[in-house]
Amino acid sequence: MATTDRFDAIVIGSGISGGWAAKELTEKGLRVLMLDRGHMVEHVDDYTYDGKPAYEVPARNIMPDTLRDSDYFIAQHGYVAPSNQAFYNNDRLNPYDYGEGSKFYWIRPAAVGGKSLIWGRWSFRWSAADFEANKRDGIGGEWPIGYDDLAPWYSYVEKYIGVSGSREHLDYLPDSEFQPPMPMNIAEKWMKQRLESAFPGRKMINARLSNMTEDKPEQNRSKCQLRNQCGNGCSFGAYFSTQAVTLPAARATGRLTLRSDAVVTNLEYDPATKKVTGVRFIDAKTGQAEVVRAKVVFLNASTLGSVQILMNSRAEGSERSHFDTSGTLGRYVMDHIFRVGVKGDIPGMEEFIEYGRRPGAIYVPRFRNNGRDEDLGFRRGYGYQGGAYREPSKPVGFGAAMKEGMRRYSGWKFQMGAFGECLPYEDNRVSLNPNKADRFGLPLMRFDVTFRDNEMRMMADAREQGEKMLRAAGLKNVESNVKEHVPGDAIHEMGGARMGDDPRASVLNKWSQAHDASNLFVTDGAQMASISCVNPSLTFMALTARAVDHAVKGLKAGTI
Amino acid sequence: MDRRNALGGMLALFGAQVFAPLARAAGLAAPPVIDQGVPRLQVFTPDQRALMTVLCERVIPTTDTPGAIAAGVPAYVEKLLADWALAEDRRPILSGLAEIDSRSWQDYKVPAVQAKPEQQDALLTLAMNDQIPDGEEFFKAFRQMVIVGYYTSEIGMTQEREYLPVPGEYNGAFPYSQVNKVYSA
Repeated sequence: MATTDRFDAIVIGSGISGGWAAKELTEKGLRVLMLDRGHMVEHVDDYTYDGKPAYEVPARNIMPDTLRDSDYFIAQHGYVAPSNQAFYNNDRLNPYDYGEGSKFYWIRPAAVGGKSLIWGRWSFRWSAADFEANKRDGIGGEWPIGYDDLAPWYSYVEKYIGVSGSREHLDYLPDSEFQPPMPMNIAEKWMKQRLESAFPGRKMINARLSNMTEDKPEQNRSKCQLRNQCGNGCSFGAYFSTQAVTLPAARATGRLTLRSDAVVTNLEYDPATKKVTGVRFIDAKTGQAEVVRAKVVFLNASTLGSVQILMNSRAEGSERSHFDTSGTLGRYVMDHIFRVGVKGDIPGMEEFIEYGRRPGAIYVPRFRNNGRDEDLGFRRGYGYQGGAYREPSKPVGFGAAMKEGMRRYSGWKFQMGAFGECLPYEDNRVSLNPNKADRFGLPLMRFDVTFRDNEMRMMADAREQGEKMLRAAGLKNVESNVKEHVPGDAIHEMGGARMGDDPRASVLNKWSQAHDASNLFVTDGAQMASISCVNPSLTFMALTARAVDHAVKGLKAGTI
Repeated sequence: MDRRNALGGMLALFGAQVFAPLARAAGLAAPPVIDQGVPRLQVFTPDQRALMTVLCERVIPTTDTPGAIAAGVPAYVEKLLADWALAEDRRPILSGLAEIDSRSWQDYKVPAVQAKPEQQDALLTLAMNDQIPDGEEFFKAFRQMVIVGYYTSEIGMTQEREYLPVPGEYNGAFPYSQVNKVYSA
């Protein structure tokens, strides 16, 4: 068993938050070891199918049913395809459990860069009301921080990564430091005007995306080229990923050591000093276990990956984690509820079409329970992501007439899908299965997480209001659909090691720092005490940069 | 606890350094790559293959641009059914080909592959309208495979349609009059 003291800090996980931790720590002068369970993917060089048309991708880039069913039966819900298969977790090799009636889709990445290579790239700030929601509703734990604590850190990360969007001056959806927005098309502009006049107070705005609309030559990154092939890896570096953004920055310091194929099983702990003393991992290629040590540890293994490592960090013979004095570890697990869609036909404007393929189009921000409880039968709210587009006609039949018919475009269509806030429930929890271990000896995760009445009523409202808005805007053939709501499916899982002021009721303090270990910071989605209804990654980045600042100050002051 | 889990649990004692056949048995082998070689399974007899091939061309014939055969659609269909689709997806295709052939003997006194193109179109139309046994099930699946195979082929993407690998810019009010061909995504 090898040990080393060559490092000041260890970062576990190289995804959206881990990459930020490594960048910030190395830039502040620390020697950092970053571990990731996945295999190495280098920017550009390992984007095997970037820029490739379907006929140059295996199986024409349609996931074979056989492979989907044998190895990617969970990843299929996260849009795995042959062109990005290498970025996705193999579900056959990495099993987990869930309780009766508690189906959970744990959609995981498999490579260095984590979900930064496969994310949806929508980037929003939380509002002041989001941080106050638990307190206002008396549900879940109160956030120990507010919007003002995070605002400067949002600015800091946004300026660096590049976020495109429109300034809207909405208090319930604060503006970022924006690059120009991805433009709306003519049909969306038409619809925005009609929707906003039919429903005063409701807005349809440009998508807010980490896809850049201006170059960042100092980072060797180009603006989005409108290919809409983000999931294959972007050699232009046009969207935020570890590979394009934080890894080059961390490497440039000369202080980063990156180890791929390093599966962390647990953290070693000294109860006397209340500090993490080592990080144990298994080299996935050799099977050898190693323990590495550093002054400070950042745990960024993904929301539930981090919770799994925390839960598996126990004294010999004990079932209780070193980091679970509060008894809340693994509890209050959340995900956005979605799979409500509405669509319709936009009449007219058929003399126009889109040129170029945007990576995101429009957003309808939350309009329910903003500022006050509207007595709608549910708390919190939802937003919609969508867009207008034209597709090739779909003639019936076969033969020359059909072929000719497919040379035209149909009229404009519009569709959007809702993402709703899930409340934090104490008994929505994950635990370790003591009887089943994975190939690295790590006890399997078990999920007991379900959506409740509040979420279901919210989605029913999203469906009803979505249809109303489309009809009021003048769309034809308006339809809606609801598919099965499965926690995890939105890939916005959060919670399990929530923040709070009270060490008896939370795992982390307001600095994302473990109450039970001053040198342990958990800055991914595990720390979230509620989940807003907006996409979370930008908030993880801001919280990470903030936590690193605190950690490094603490190290210098000798308080960590 | 099933056999895979039992074996996996034992092997965990050895870390990842396990004898390769044991690793495979326990499901520890690397993720499979998508096989792109010749089909591992012979889905069609030579006669079935010949009929499938001409029917691909009837679905998307050669016009002012190449048709399904030139675009390699028959090979795509065979590979898809052999290695990529689920086993149960082969049955309606094979039985549909048999029914079409049988109807051709009945109506035209020749195997379907030797029928005239307009007779083959008539046979496909019978299938489309479910006027031969399980015809609609065959037609829907077969048509979909041919369309996907064609419009994801090099000919389909670059000759029948226009391929824009790097648009570079977005115009949300581009004049439709300037569109020469449908853009392949």
